[in-house]
Amino acid sequence: MRILVVEDDDIVLTLLTARLGAEHYAIDAATDGLTGWEYASIYDYDLLILDVVLPKLDGISLCQKLRQAGHTLPILMLTSQDTSMAKILGLDAGADDYVVKPFDPEELTARVRALLRRGSTNPLPIMLWGDLCLNSSTQEVSYGGTLLDLTAKEYGLLEMMLRESQRVFSKDEILDCLWSAEEFPVEATVRSHMRRLRGKLLAVGAPADLIATSHGRGYYLKPVNGGGETLFEPAPLTDPEPPAPHPSDDQQAQYLEFLNQTWQEQRSNCLQRVHRLDLALDQLQTQALPLTEQSEAYRIAHNLVGTLGTFGLLEAMAIARLLEQEFHPDIYLEPSQVNPLKLLLANLQQQIETTDTLVNLPKPTGVEPLVGNGQAGRSLATQRLMLVDDDPILLQTLSKQLQGHGFQVGVLDDPQQFWAVLENLQPDVLVLDIQMPQMNGLVLCQSLRSASQWQKIPVLFLSTFADAQTQHQAFAAGADDYLCKPITAQDLSDRIHHRLQRIQAVSQ
Amino acid sequence: MMHRRVLIIDDEESIQLVVQFGLKLSAGWDVLVASSGLEGIRQAASEQPDMILLDVMMPEMDGLTTFRELQNNGETRSIPVILLTAKAQASEKRLFNDTGVQGVITKPFNSLELAEQIIKVLDW
Repeated sequence: MRILVVEDDDIVLTLLTARLGAEHYAIDAATDGLTGWEYASIYDYDLLILDVVLPKLDGISLCQKLRQAGHTLPILMLTSQDTSMAKILGLDAGADDYVVKPFDPEELTARVRALLRRGSTNPLPIMLWGDLCLNSSTQEVSYGGTLLDLTAKEYGLLEMMLRESQRVFSKDEILDCLWSAEEFPVEATVRSHMRRLRGKLLAVGAPADLIATSHGRGYYLKPVNGGGETLFEPAPLTDPEPPAPHPSDDQQAQYLEFLNQTWQEQRSNCLQRVHRLDLALDQLQTQALPLTEQSEAYRIAHNLVGTLGTFGLLEAMAIARLLEQEFHPDIYLEPSQVNPLKLLLANLQQQIETTDTLVNLPKPTGVEPLVGNGQAGRSLATQRLMLVDDDPILLQTLSKQLQGHGFQVGVLDDPQQFWAVLENLQPDVLVLDIQMPQMNGLVLCQSLRSASQWQKIPVLFLSTFADAQTQHQAFAAGADDYLCKPITAQDLSDRIHHRLQRIQAVSQ
Repeated sequence: MMHRRVLIIDDEESIQLVVQFGLKLSAGWDVLVASSGLEGIRQAASEQPDMILLDVMMPEMDGLTTFRELQNNGETRSIPVILLTAKAQASEKRLFNDTGVQGVITKPFNSLELAEQIIKVLDW
């Protein structure tokens, strides 16, 4: 079954595509009304999901236009207006059903199934053909009571043929119905899927020609005992719970609870590993670390990355990843690296010790994107700058002004997330405050200099301290420049450009 | 969704636990656990799971060696394998592609969404 979704909201579109894709439908997407009109005119769809508010051509007009042009496909309207007036308008324009945003994805897919059934000659959720049984609600197929293990395409093939069981389907038709425009399939693809499907049917005792070939025309279901019949009776299912492909809120809550329990058990384990890394560093201080010890430390750090990531502790994970890189067996560790690495380790230990409860489900990327300057085409030449300061107002003002000076700026007001954000942003230059809660900029800089990945990144301090001693400490910690607050964006921008130019000159 | 049995081969206990719980909760699947490549190969042969999640970096026998052994064994050859790896580098991804594994999932992942990813990768 092939569905066209016309929706300009990226999030809703992604959600719909994922949800319906998981239900074995082929999905094409258009993000404005005109493109939607073009798609619907070119391809045959089994269903259209249509947003009301769309750029270029609104959903109501598109719906009317399609009906006037003679398109009879079922149309499901999506709208954020929950008023009778809006619904009447949509239905009168030719829509078959109407769903108000935000919608329950379960309900939406059920409505999609119902609409698709309405248009078929076989309007029931359970379709039988001899001993073959397909339940479109649970998406399970069985033959003679044995469940078949089908891929999405194989399921789609069977469903399509059962919906119109008296027809012959050409390969072209099958391609149009089951593959989206982006997949560029060829007829041979249909043949190979058909071959596998027949193989699976044969394996559970179905006749070899249950799906028969009519040469030059296509495929059809061969009548069993005088023809196919459709009955509404439950299929012999082995697994009665229909699991949702998308985790529900309840599942997420249960999962979080489980993660928390497991974290309580695993935390001491993590701390033990940190301790073992600490011992390796102690050893390095007095003598070279034997390769076997370094490899073991590397493995421990690697496992920490995995464990911490599993629990969603992104900052701790980023630190563990830095340690993993430093302990890599190909890298020769020197005693001079001990102290900065110990700082990192202490930071990691603190992160683990202070995380009593996990509050969020782990997300692979939990970090704000770069604040761009909005000028397309400029970003390639633009330097990425990461600004770390606990004063959000300063961050906001400076970042806006620096964008005006051609920088792509990422900001961070919570230095506790420093490593995770750093890893995500991959900046070209860093501007650090010195005194921040729970984290000292000088310590951060020192740790940066010990991490091979960040050893060379230009670091500029921006601080209220104007005394010579602090400045001296900053340079000792590895700073490239030191600036005092308050500062104009022009001055800061000049100093950063200057620093970057010098680095470029040196590297050439 | 079909009922599935998944074998995870990973030396990290926390990952085993979380994957086991996540796949059961979100998809109702059963998860068998092996903590090393060798144990994994034994279990794959005797239990015949529907697919294998295989950690790349393990002590003794690493993931790629384990995968090759699974391929060389007639009893396990046809079981699809997805590698679990920490943030794969582009070069590593090419390396993985050349081995013939069905897919690569990068850690960290949300185990609640893992079933969905597996279904997508294996076209189940």
